[in-house]
Amino acid sequence: MNNIVVFAGSSHVDLVDKICENLGIERSQVKLGKFSNGETSISIEESVREKDVYVIQSGCGHVNDNFMELLILINACKTADASRVTAVMPYFSYSRQPDIPYTAKGAPLISKAKEKYTFDSHPGTPVPQSMLTVEKPTSPSSTKSHNASNLDSPSKQHALQSPTPLRPSELRPTSSTSSRIPMIPNGKAEHPEQDQSSNADTLFNASNSSYKLWVAQAGTLIANLLTTAGADHVITMDLHDSQFQGFFDIPVDNLYCKPITQSYIQHHIPNYQDCVVVSPDAGGAKRAAKIADVLELSFAMIHKERRSQLLKGPPGATLTSGGGVPVSAKPLIESLDLKQSSSGSGNNKYVNTTMLVGDVRNKECIIVDDLVDTSYTLTRAAKLLKDQGATKVYALITHGIFSGDALNRIGQSVIDKIIVTNSIPQNETIKALGAERVEVLDVSNIFAEAIRRIHNGESISILFEHGW
Amino acid sequence: MATNSIKLLAPDVHRNLAELVAKRLGLKLTNCKLKRDPSGEVSFSIGESVRDQDIFIVTQIGSGDVNDRVLELLIMINASKTASARRISAIIPNFPYARQDRKDKSRAPITAKLMADMLTTAGCDHVITMDLHASQIQGFFDVPVDNLYAEPSVVRYIKENINFKEAIIISPDAGGAKRAAALADRLDLNFALIHKERARANEVSRMVLVGDVSDKICIIVDDMADTCGTLAKAAEVLLENKAKSVIAIVTHGILSGKAIENINNSKLDRVVCTNTVPFEDKMLKCPKLDAIDISSVLAEAIRRLHNGESISYLFKNYPL
Repeated sequence: MNNIVVFAGSSHVDLVDKICENLGIERSQVKLGKFSNGETSISIEESVREKDVYVIQSGCGHVNDNFMELLILINACKTADASRVTAVMPYFSYSRQPDIPYTAKGAPLISKAKEKYTFDSHPGTPVPQSMLTVEKPTSPSSTKSHNASNLDSPSKQHALQSPTPLRPSELRPTSSTSSRIPMIPNGKAEHPEQDQSSNADTLFNASNSSYKLWVAQAGTLIANLLTTAGADHVITMDLHDSQFQGFFDIPVDNLYCKPITQSYIQHHIPNYQDCVVVSPDAGGAKRAAKIADVLELSFAMIHKERRSQLLKGPPGATLTSGGGVPVSAKPLIESLDLKQSSSGSGNNKYVNTTMLVGDVRNKECIIVDDLVDTSYTLTRAAKLLKDQGATKVYALITHGIFSGDALNRIGQSVIDKIIVTNSIPQNETIKALGAERVEVLDVSNIFAEAIRRIHNGESISILFEHGW
Repeated sequence: MATNSIKLLAPDVHRNLAELVAKRLGLKLTNCKLKRDPSGEVSFSIGESVRDQDIFIVTQIGSGDVNDRVLELLIMINASKTASARRISAIIPNFPYARQDRKDKSRAPITAKLMADMLTTAGCDHVITMDLHASQIQGFFDVPVDNLYAEPSVVRYIKENINFKEAIIISPDAGGAKRAAALADRLDLNFALIHKERARANEVSRMVLVGDVSDKICIIVDDMADTCGTLAKAAEVLLENKAKSVIAIVTHGILSGKAIENINNSKLDRVVCTNTVPFEDKMLKCPKLDAIDISSVLAEAIRRLHNGESISYLFKNYPL
């Protein structure tokens, strides 16, 4: 390994050490810090002239600081005459594209004025905490007993036949978060303190009701910034959108975590042949289905959608009000299969529904997803699966960001075991959830092998299929 | 062709300057929202059409979360660009990373150049800044950069608030001599210089005064005050040389770290900063701080830029 220099950004030094150990080289010295005014300061302690430089920085922690640090490091190497600079981002920050739901009028459903509320101090969903604490001891039978109070006898019978989770309204999550970007509840019913701000938003939305909000798509920008800084090559893993590669003018190698995940399922999940692979949303269906195909497991999917008031669910699919729009105290029961809840405030024309496609009764479920951020989707999916009779729920995650109170939420959820890679430091996760509930898979081998092959000019396609 | 008008955008934090500029121009800030995910990523949305409009993004970048502010600005610029704005001008009175403008040692990053490249990449068509640490930074850009001067505002402040007939202008280091000398010329005052040897960034070493300051009100002029260690030390040197009192006027009062402590414990009478950097909260903690409002200069620059008029008038004159 001649002429190779590996620098670690401050986000994930442990992973870099493992990668370097695998490559049989020493991590190169760089001093990272900040000036007193908050500007990032770096100082490279080794010569990089005509070297092949790899800068490893994961998009976690303080995302913007880490990203700027990466850019400055790349730029410093480039201006110090490195022959090639490769940005290695195990988790690629800003790879998710924000989206904004629209009302029928075209005005965006933005919830609150910024002055009233920040994500940090007010994590969007006050309820899941209580929901989950109540829920934790709740076995399917006690859920049914709750149901019994709301249902007349025929539907009770139905509830006993298939334990559909009609939860009492106070147990419902009030956030309408999607898996990707948290949306904020827009109803006023359960947030009286936000009335003023919602009025401001009504004004904000009303004043330009004909205009659809322009939402920044940061993806291209981030790609261009990396190129501008001087990156010649990017290595990352399990990009949220594989189209993201197309935003770059430089080669992007997207490694897959799938081989590691597969071998974990085969070796560490007892009786994996009887498991069901579950995708928690439609976006991840392809990824999960691939794993199911290779291991010849059955596959299920949780589908979540926003619909206008009347639902026409496909027969056989089970609907729950998952989306967490604040719901009225007495959920309407349209038919035995169909439960619908609408916003208590009445101005919300949309209902979030979650339905499970596939059979999981008396099976062990493996939820497969590429990343977990706020964990709303994951915990809700796990709840739905358990309600549908799953015996055990595993969650296999590539990138565990776990922002906000995600760890707390997962801790109180019904997920039996969470398996996550170390693309992002997971020390906090283990501390919060305990070592027996968390399994951290090591991806340093894949990255080391990719770096080795790229450095030597060999093909890395074999890593896509067989891992390391 | 549709008429195109000024749209003022500002991030959700440190909006004071933007609001002052908007008031001066008689405009309202455009509806826009910055949203921070719990994971730390930022997303941005604009609440009205900006198609074919003349966009001005007014920022105040101080100390602390500099990188957050920079990425927010880049995302705002990029959002405006992809929303088909005709022209996007970034108003960055205190240009971040301006001090990392050269390779002062091996393999040091030239972050100011990187900042310039990033702004251009994001889609910025014009940059307005004020009292750049080194005016050569303008050469890092491929787009026009208007480097405004705080000097007219400072002159006005000195004339209105200080008995300047008894004053002398001091440059706290050799690098600022030119700026201080220009100000001294404008006010027809004498000029002295403190020569210092700096060991490391944010640390001060030995200081030597060049010039006579006895029985004078000393006005230390600098473009930037960070931890204020230099200013405090300079004040001591000046008072040792029989100065009557010492006032510091800096354009960018970054005031990071122990700055407030340093000022409170120092022999400085007053520290005057412009509002290129947000420091309202610091004024509460430090009675010696005073502010110069430069929003009218920025507003006038925006007006002139929008109408395609010359900006050079503002280099020498304060817009009334």
